[in-house]
Amino acid sequence: MPTQTIYTLIKQLLKKKTTNPFPVKYTPDNMHDAQELIEEGKLEINPPVEVPPGFRGKLKYDKESCIGCQLCVKVCPSEALVFTEERKVRHYVTRCTFCGQCVDICPTDSFEFTDEFLMAGPEKLYDDLVLNP
Amino acid sequence: MNGENGAEETTYEVPIGPIHPALKEPFLIKFRLDGEEIVDAEPHPGMNHRGIEFMGMHRNPMEVIPLSERICGICSIVHQHMFTTATEHALQIEPTNRARYIRTIMCELERIHSHILWAGVAAHEIGFDTHLHLTWKIREKVMDLLEYIAGNRVNYSMWTFGGVRRDITEEMHPKISETLEYYEKTYDKLENIFLKDPSIKMRTKDVGILSKKKALELCGVGPTVRASGVKKDVRIDQPYAAYGDIDIDYVIPSRYGFEDKGDVFSKTVVRLKELLQSIDIIKQCVAQMPEGEITSEPKKAALFNKLEKKDGEGIGRIEAPRGEAIHYVRLSEGREDIDNWKIRASTYNNLPTYAPMFMGEQIADIPIIAASIDPCIGCMDRAEIVDIRSGETETYAREELHELSVEKTKKLKEEGI
Amino acid sequence: MVDAVVEWSIMLALVLLVSAIGIILGLAYKGFDRKITAMMQSRIGPPLRQPFRDVKKLFMKETIIPDSAVPWLFNAAPILALVASLVAFAYLPLGPFEPIMEGYGDLILLLYLLAIPAVAMAMGGLASGSPYATVGAQRELVLMISYELPLAVAAVTFAYNYNTFSIAEISSQPVWNTVGIVGAMGFILILAALVAVMPGELSKVPFDQAEAETELAEGLFVEYSGRNLGIFYIAEVVKMVFVGALFIALFFPYQLSNFIGLAGPTVPLIEMGLWAVLVDVAFFLFKLLIIIYIGVSLIRVAFARFQIDRANYFYWGPMAIIGLVGTLLVVLENTGI
Repeated sequence: MPTQTIYTLIKQLLKKKTTNPFPVKYTPDNMHDAQELIEEGKLEINPPVEVPPGFRGKLKYDKESCIGCQLCVKVCPSEALVFTEERKVRHYVTRCTFCGQCVDICPTDSFEFTDEFLMAGPEKLYDDLVLNP
Repeated sequence: MNGENGAEETTYEVPIGPIHPALKEPFLIKFRLDGEEIVDAEPHPGMNHRGIEFMGMHRNPMEVIPLSERICGICSIVHQHMFTTATEHALQIEPTNRARYIRTIMCELERIHSHILWAGVAAHEIGFDTHLHLTWKIREKVMDLLEYIAGNRVNYSMWTFGGVRRDITEEMHPKISETLEYYEKTYDKLENIFLKDPSIKMRTKDVGILSKKKALELCGVGPTVRASGVKKDVRIDQPYAAYGDIDIDYVIPSRYGFEDKGDVFSKTVVRLKELLQSIDIIKQCVAQMPEGEITSEPKKAALFNKLEKKDGEGIGRIEAPRGEAIHYVRLSEGREDIDNWKIRASTYNNLPTYAPMFMGEQIADIPIIAASIDPCIGCMDRAEIVDIRSGETETYAREELHELSVEKTKKLKEEGI
Repeated sequence: MVDAVVEWSIMLALVLLVSAIGIILGLAYKGFDRKITAMMQSRIGPPLRQPFRDVKKLFMKETIIPDSAVPWLFNAAPILALVASLVAFAYLPLGPFEPIMEGYGDLILLLYLLAIPAVAMAMGGLASGSPYATVGAQRELVLMISYELPLAVAAVTFAYNYNTFSIAEISSQPVWNTVGIVGAMGFILILAALVAVMPGELSKVPFDQAEAETELAEGLFVEYSGRNLGIFYIAEVVKMVFVGALFIALFFPYQLSNFIGLAGPTVPLIEMGLWAVLVDVAFFLFKLLIIIYIGVSLIRVAFARFQIDRANYFYWGPMAIIGLVGTLLVVLENTGI
């Protein structure tokens, strides 16, 4: 029973695949070794997909211009922003939902989105996963 | 199991769920089967209740906007829209005209993505994984466009009280029209796959029939009942956003030369034809879009004060891709948090239509019938009352719940609280 | 006496060798099937060696036997399925090699051996005591009696045409050379019916009702895990290669070495020389690839799963009729009417 589907399938066999490739084609047997190889430049990885304009990635916080009005703390839905004793704001990246309401409401534009979206870390309070620690 | 000692022994029970490949979310349907034939179906919701309404009632309206779009991953715009319009209704503010059009465009883009996604899931349910991959490949285009407009792939964060947060500018128009052209071109392919392929036709025709009478009685919504020939569409019956200015008509199968049968095939027809309708609506919106501000409340801090001081209640109503859905919001003076928030997603209305659809069908048809209403359990789930000592579940009608709450109030009064 | 012992031990060693080859070939072709399926669906797909890894993983996992199961039957079913598939291999000509058990069995025995894995799966399903597996087992049995009809028709036609049930004799001469135009048309119809039987025999979409992921959550295998599931997996892939090899033996027993002049048409294996054997083996593997691509991969991705009653109707209606018409044409030709 030749159907339209069979024709499409055979056409797709020869075409470029739609799936975005993983950084490495197949899972390496040893992740640690693979990481070392990448650092040495012996293993090439597929770059991540491009981000669109206006992407809501990791926040950038300008501590200097912050006036401590607490509006961002009020609109943050996931309590990722915490008001500190020095009358500034601390941002926990792991809690952030990237809604961008703090960016919108800030009267001094102290918050800004970056294109960074690779934010994995070994623990919740790792290195740069807390802004203004 | 196939003994002939009376009806009792010839039937057996097969639970589908709470975790089952046919269901994409935790949900339990208990089937009583006679061989391969279904003689009884009993849905048991309550496996995926997340208490979002309760969470919302402990947050202020601004915080609830991002929360509301996380009710559903597929129709996040829908819930965001309903919550915002309900709150706007309570605050008695109006979105600007340009914002109305942008909202309409986003809603329709989401409908395109939701319907194509459904088509893929439906194909997967009948064992046709190729079309799952094919349709989802086609769907990527609209996801790219949504990402381009809103910044991210899901959870768009576009809505705010009084309008939208991002504009659809002139320079975005080429990309929009390019995507729409792509869909106009691929539409024939989709129709070929779903309405003409012999094996899909075999699995969807005359399966899970919902008669027009039953559809009206059970008060189903959206494509589920439009497939049975019921003319019901909030976009036309009670226009919101910019739908009042736009030329649209009810999508029912008989308009396109198919039968208003209410089987899975008719539901596929309705969903596919709605793709064309959505493309048409977006085109009209882009052409007619008025100039002006994108939000009527540009000063967020002032808006915040307003939200705190205003008393009122409002309703947001929308034709979601799955059918009509409603949000109810009440704000009270002097209280920062929302007083009351009630969500009624479309699946809640469509769930009772399972009963007539499943009756007399085969086990093999369970997945496709279950998928035919495009269920979103996470959106609609309700709590179930279970006696943990005996394991029995109980159902409370509205009156009983009312009595229970009156009793509790009395008790509290007596205790002097 | 000593001669007999030597002969038997050689045969045993050969059977073990063929079993190992069958398992390796099966897993390799499974990898090919998964990769090409993915490519047709515009995906990247797993590496070719993925099935080997899967089996390795399954054998390392814990084997759980549910409380409601009948343990001995539950454990015996996968082994029975695997043994039946492997034994069947010994009766088939593989490329240039004659069947090892030549003279000990024929086409009828092969049909029975083909049925045993399905019966074993149904037994295991019924023994596992899960409602999904029970429904799956019922479906498997229904499916089996459905596809047996066209299969039996095909077998009878071959036996009639060659006047023997011996596989070696049937494959010694390509079927197309034994009949004229009318008979060839008959065999083309039988080939079509057998291609339709193939996915049913191997429980692949559109005839995977017994497993039906979205309906029965893998049906028969729902309670199987670890080693038992691994053995079922191997049995399945061995059966896939076996059915492919049977197709080759019945319809395309051509050897490439004759055509390119490396060896004469009836030269025994020992005198053929290494290159001729290698060419024939490679050609056999290629034929197997094509048959598995068409019979398993392409059909698997191009159709939706049938409902069980329609599958039954499909085999007993159109496919049986096609097969019978084919038989009729062959008979017409042979009787010279």
